[in-house]
Amino acid sequence: MGKAKEAIRVSGLTKIYNGKKVLDGLNLSVKNGTVFGLLGANGAGKSTTIECILGTRRAEQGTALVLGRDPGKERRALFQKVGVQFQEGDYQPEIKVSEICEEIACLYDSPSDWRELCERFGIGDKLKNAVKSLSGGERQRLFIVLALIPAPELVFLDELTTGLDAKARRTVWKILEDLKAQGLTIFLTSHFMDEVEALCDEVCILKKGKTVFYGTIEQAKEQSGCEKFEDAYLKFSDEEADA
Amino acid sequence: MRTFTNLLKTELKLNIRNMNMVIFAVIMPVVVLVVLGIIYQSRPAYPGAEYTFLEQSMSAVCTISICAGGLMGLPIVVSEYRERKILKRFQVTPVSPVMLLVVEFTIYVLYALVSMVLLFPAAACFWGVAFRGSWPAFIGSWFLTLISTLSIGMMVGGIAKDTKIASVIASILYFPMLIFSGATVPFEVMPKMLQKIVGLFPLTQGIQLMKAASLGLAVDNLWLPVAVMGAVAIVCTGIAVKCFQWE
Repeated sequence: MGKAKEAIRVSGLTKIYNGKKVLDGLNLSVKNGTVFGLLGANGAGKSTTIECILGTRRAEQGTALVLGRDPGKERRALFQKVGVQFQEGDYQPEIKVSEICEEIACLYDSPSDWRELCERFGIGDKLKNAVKSLSGGERQRLFIVLALIPAPELVFLDELTTGLDAKARRTVWKILEDLKAQGLTIFLTSHFMDEVEALCDEVCILKKGKTVFYGTIEQAKEQSGCEKFEDAYLKFSDEEADA
Repeated sequence: MRTFTNLLKTELKLNIRNMNMVIFAVIMPVVVLVVLGIIYQSRPAYPGAEYTFLEQSMSAVCTISICAGGLMGLPIVVSEYRERKILKRFQVTPVSPVMLLVVEFTIYVLYALVSMVLLFPAAACFWGVAFRGSWPAFIGSWFLTLISTLSIGMMVGGIAKDTKIASVIASILYFPMLIFSGATVPFEVMPKMLQKIVGLFPLTQGIQLMKAASLGLAVDNLWLPVAVMGAVAIVCTGIAVKCFQWE
């Protein structure tokens, strides 16, 4: 895998659903080893952006390069090194935690130790349980574990801590910071601005498929004239609020 | 290979835990055998026949499991995985669609194999069923019937929009084939007219071929059923792989 300086490069990405532009000429660049946050209200186009970058949705216009590769053409080589946690993760009805981990691990050339990952995320004692019997927070942590099993260079986390309690969120942040220190690039979406502030080096705020802010947390506060990042976010994303 | 065996192990466990196929592909054929055995015992197939009615029915009973796997199990599991977005999760991993299809395919091959391995010794033990023909010819025609039926299922699972449509198509294929191809109601007791109609099912062709092989009878047009089933297998597998959709 070539060591491109950019983990993700998106240019002019446009996606149309039923004649409506849900993404409009999006440009992004995520540097290696950084944490990038894609923010916006529900329906702003965050999940669509992730899907177009990953190649699971085809954009009408524009290109996305991930680790220097085109996901549409080099899917199998690329996903050896990229982990993904989708917003609505689903699983086989009767599967157990250990089975789903094993099933994912066997797809990669050199996977991480999933038992250790489960341990770190606090679900090490649930390996024999059925996934459907886990609580919402435990299941959310399991899906983060699954995204990290490839021992990825880059991980996509869509709404990573939705459903987690305060303590579990802190644990997840700590683990992600450790992984970042080891060189992992993280692309996340979140509705929690404290989380974004704690983790992200750069953010992009989307509104109806268009970029309304792109830069660091500090720049967001500066440009908006707000002291708190959450206020800055609301100012950017709610500008000229809809009737 | 490591990926294949690991996936197979997990998916097989899940499939057995689900119990549907254990009932329809393993237990049900045994029940049909027992019912036929109790009714016909070791009566000859027709007055003066060299083989018993039960010996003549063995091939058909062996295909119950093939039908259940290929026309119910396989299409429904593939479409369910798509509908539940499990395939979408696999799409962002390095696994190939062919690998996933081969794993699911293999599970139903195993069910059919287990079913056959249970049926012959049981029939031999309780009703003195003897195998009069050629094992290689029988296994060959069994295998051809198996892959052509499973490939139909794989295609249905591949092109059906959701689980509901897959089940409807599966039922439309499954019940007539199960009942009329000779798998449950013996082909021999059907009226001539009905025999002609159901002769169009690929499964009927397979059963007739297996029957001839197991009883050591001559087959007039050996290449016709072989060609029909081979063509079905190739076309359906091709469509299933070509039209594979993760979502």
